[in-house]
Amino acid sequence: MGSDHPTDFVGDICEAIRGSVRAAIDDAVVDVTGGNGHYTITVTSSVFAGKNMVQSQRLVYGAIAHLMKGDRAPVHAVDRLTTRTP
Amino acid sequence: MLSAETKSQIEGLIQKNRVVLFMKGNKHFPQCGFSAQVVQILKEVGVPFDGVNVLQDAALRDGIKEFTQWPTIPQLYVDGQFVGGCDIVKDLYAQGELQKLLGAEAEDVPAPVIHVHERAAKAFRDADDGSGDLLRLEVSSDFKYELYFGPKKAGDFEVKAGGLTILVDRASAKRANGITIEWVETADGGAFRIDNPAEPPSVKPLSVTELKAWLDRGDKLEIFDVRGDDERARAKIDAAKKFDESAEAYVRTLPKSTTIVMQCHHGGRSRRAAERLVAEGFTRVYNLEGGIDAWSVKVDPKVARY
Repeated sequence: MGSDHPTDFVGDICEAIRGSVRAAIDDAVVDVTGGNGHYTITVTSSVFAGKNMVQSQRLVYGAIAHLMKGDRAPVHAVDRLTTRTP
Repeated sequence: MLSAETKSQIEGLIQKNRVVLFMKGNKHFPQCGFSAQVVQILKEVGVPFDGVNVLQDAALRDGIKEFTQWPTIPQLYVDGQFVGGCDIVKDLYAQGELQKLLGAEAEDVPAPVIHVHERAAKAFRDADDGSGDLLRLEVSSDFKYELYFGPKKAGDFEVKAGGLTILVDRASAKRANGITIEWVETADGGAFRIDNPAEPPSVKPLSVTELKAWLDRGDKLEIFDVRGDDERARAKIDAAKKFDESAEAYVRTLPKSTTIVMQCHHGGRSRRAAERLVAEGFTRVYNLEGGIDAWSVKVDPKVARY
């Protein structure tokens, strides 16, 4: 999974992920690490309370879907997505 | 846009079979690490499943993402319902929930015994940020290890070791019994070393900085250089013996648990030799990653690069 993933995206991808998740989920605390197309994302928010894993992850994926679209997307894969409540 | 045609194609697929995995590649040759992990889990659970290769159909590849409202592949469907992607399937499997969902009996796994050396325990205590998260050990089906701090999940074992509590999920537990976690000094600071008696022998990667630390500490080991005389004349590690016929004969007299490090120019040829030793039954065979070149760059600049 260490292969190269070219993208046309210009800018800090980790920051773009953080910003997109925060824009979609008000109280989200977002931790993003990674690079070269592969990212690990941890989101803490009260919005996940009472939701199952699919519902919780769908909220996050929905927020960053535009960063994952197409063959030259800045986010090629999310290696690990963790959602938790504060 | 999801076309009506693709939509009905997907509906047909998830109704035709009880367990359907939309994946990259087929179940014999997954073409993506995430798909491969889910295939491995489904095989371990032992239920028949249908693998749908989305790489063969661009409309399906985009369509399934829209259909499920899920931007990644693989995607697992059971009884026509979306279960999750790789992370979720792994979690459900680790908790024994996937087995229930698939109607397979969850194996009764005993709590593993783990040993943590004092230096490693101290490193873990130092890394604890006090957030209440606990150390988690994961052992994948191909014996790759992950150690990180995280919250307790349903079904976790809480294993006490070295004054620590270590979380181990049920899937990892059966591969984690008897594990020893040590802390080894390297030029980059230090690293955890995991010794697992349950792991089938394989060639282990060794960094040049770690080898330097072993040598400085006077660890008992054998280093062999598989290169020829011409290359050895240009650059060599003093402790490395030439791996010629007499060296091979000598190796065969050693106990199979001897620590053996194989070295060459960049780490390719030595890996093949190391694999041969593993095939002969040696259990602690290391390949020096990056070879003499990495040694020159990171450990001893007096050794020439070529």
